[in-house]
Amino acid sequence: MIKRFFLILNFYFLFISNIWAIIEIDITEGNREPLPIAITEFFYNETEKEILLDISTNMRNVMSADLERSGLFKSINKDAFIQNNQAMHLSPRFEDWRLIKAQGLITGDLSLKGDQLKVEFRLWDTLAEKEIEALVLITTQENWRRVSHMIADKVYERLTGEGGYFDTRIVYVAEEGPKNQRIKKLAIMDQDSFNHRFLTSGKELVLTPRFNPVRQEITYLSYFKNLPRVYLLDIQTGIQEIVGDFPGMTFAPRFSPDGNKIIMSLAREGNSDIYVMDLITRVVERFTDNPAIDTSPSYSPDGRKITFNSDRGGSQQIYVMDNNGRNQKRISKGTGNYATPVWSPRGDLIAFTKNFQGQYFIGVMRVDGTGERLLTENWYQEAPSWSSNGRVIIFYRESKADDQGKGHSSSIWSIDLTGFNERKVSTPGDASDPSWSRLIQ
Amino acid sequence: MRYSLIGSLILHVFIFLLTIVSLPLFNTPELDIPPIIQVELIEIAEKTNVPEISKKQEKEEKPKKVEKKEETKINQPIVKPKDEKSNEKVKDPVEEEKIVKKKIETKMIEKMPVRKPEIKKEDKFDPLKLAELIDKQKDTKIEKEETKDLEYESLDKTPSISKKLTLSEEDAIRAQFMKCWSIPLGMPYDETHIVKIRIYLNKDGSLSQPPEMLQHERMNKPGEEYFRTLAESAIRAVRRCDPLKKVPDINRYDDWKILQLNFDPREILRG
Repeated sequence: MIKRFFLILNFYFLFISNIWAIIEIDITEGNREPLPIAITEFFYNETEKEILLDISTNMRNVMSADLERSGLFKSINKDAFIQNNQAMHLSPRFEDWRLIKAQGLITGDLSLKGDQLKVEFRLWDTLAEKEIEALVLITTQENWRRVSHMIADKVYERLTGEGGYFDTRIVYVAEEGPKNQRIKKLAIMDQDSFNHRFLTSGKELVLTPRFNPVRQEITYLSYFKNLPRVYLLDIQTGIQEIVGDFPGMTFAPRFSPDGNKIIMSLAREGNSDIYVMDLITRVVERFTDNPAIDTSPSYSPDGRKITFNSDRGGSQQIYVMDNNGRNQKRISKGTGNYATPVWSPRGDLIAFTKNFQGQYFIGVMRVDGTGERLLTENWYQEAPSWSSNGRVIIFYRESKADDQGKGHSSSIWSIDLTGFNERKVSTPGDASDPSWSRLIQ
Repeated sequence: MRYSLIGSLILHVFIFLLTIVSLPLFNTPELDIPPIIQVELIEIAEKTNVPEISKKQEKEEKPKKVEKKEETKINQPIVKPKDEKSNEKVKDPVEEEKIVKKKIETKMIEKMPVRKPEIKKEDKFDPLKLAELIDKQKDTKIEKEETKDLEYESLDKTPSISKKLTLSEEDAIRAQFMKCWSIPLGMPYDETHIVKIRIYLNKDGSLSQPPEMLQHERMNKPGEEYFRTLAESAIRAVRRCDPLKKVPDINRYDDWKILQLNFDPREILRG
């Protein structure tokens, strides 16, 4: 009797659950178009129009360019705006913004407090009809460009879930002159190519500048009387320091994630191996000891692993080892030669240069070597460097010279992880070997 | 001699004729003409299996224009004689001319022999019943789909009481959300990044209440910024798609008035 009762009860619940089951639909594809966003000119009081009119217009242009360059956002033309910033200053009419297909809306106020500029900005979700980010920044009037980058970073962060990379700088080697007598200077600029300046005079050959991940400091290689030297340069103070003379060949010094060590490749007795120098104690430690050529070391963001390239297997391939030189293993598996591995600041990928069948590729692979993706292909390109959020890579590309050696040029390019958003980074002249800073503190 | 010559000649002629008739060489074959199939030409509307409702609609549709003109322009002052505006319209000589012209037009059309017997008073076009007419049209279409569904269901051996959308209905909903969903590209791959949202729909496809995020706690957790971004993009997609342009069978509204949408970008982000 009880058995029968439970059986009926069981059937009853099965029946009920069947009736009340909610239909589930899986959405596994979507629209890959950039997110439309409306960036308004920030509101200001008419009494301060003389000063704030230009700042308001310029700030909109900078934010708009930053977000569009990321490839993830599309800034809506301001001519399409229905609501003016005067009325919006009080409250946005969301239906007006939805009508022009804006999914995000940036509004703000500008005001002067003596010499200081006060910037209040708000980010709105026009579909949810709510404010999702707000910030107040007070700075000097001349600093409006940097404030614009900082706001763009906040918007990017709020809408993508990861930090922005607009308030950053790029250091690179500026080149000029014929190929056999090339003058190479260190140069620095904002990521949008503004505020460009040279850091060295060009008397000495400079190579491989790399940013310190925690300080506004650069390490680079320079030849002094034909001897390679590793330098440290404080960008803010301009103070230069020699880390040491390294006889023989020295390649690609790079900081550890805490900024206290430099990892590089030194050629001693005809053999290149990986060495680490502690910047505090100045002690140099050897990490690889192999008859093959080991070069281009790069730390993982947690500092526990190091990736480098080596030809110990017969061809140039990417290897990973622990931060004490142990557990060295090859991770690149494809055909062709792999070089310049750089660990992503996000920790999930390694960027590299690949040479295959006479063409050069910039690609990424997971840290175990799987999921190799070639993002861009060209006649010659190399030296990838990650943006602070690990989403964009800059590198340099050379154009082919003609038979008389003319027509050669080199320029900096950027590409995002999707492989679709490839852009040329504007520089005053030829440029090579770029390095991207972390967010300016 | 003469008789024998005549006899021989007759015999030879007979043999010659017999040869022509019997030998296949001289026998021209008859053309193999296929039998004639008789086809009765009939009017499509009379014999096809169009459901009863749509037949009525067809009848209704044709006199629509005629009746519409009568009712909207001519009958209005009669139906609502107290309406000052409509009275004014009648007084306007230009308008009167138009109405006279339209009357002539309607008479002309009414005189057409085929249409005339089909016009019934009940079938007069009523703009207020337009929605019902549209609904009926939907019903006829959906009826056909339902019959297909029953076939599928019988194949699947699933109980008829279970909630299920047809593949085309499910695809139609999926396609709409796919268009509305701007995927946050470039995110790191994460096996657990699936956003589940419950939506409550009205019969017309609009949201009856705000979308319900089923993983609300995770969305607001620190360190889950990527998930929050993904969840927000999914919610935006739901709002952008409000109202849905295509909805499943209205007769089964109870089945789809609540839907769970699983936004799953893993394949895209896996790279």
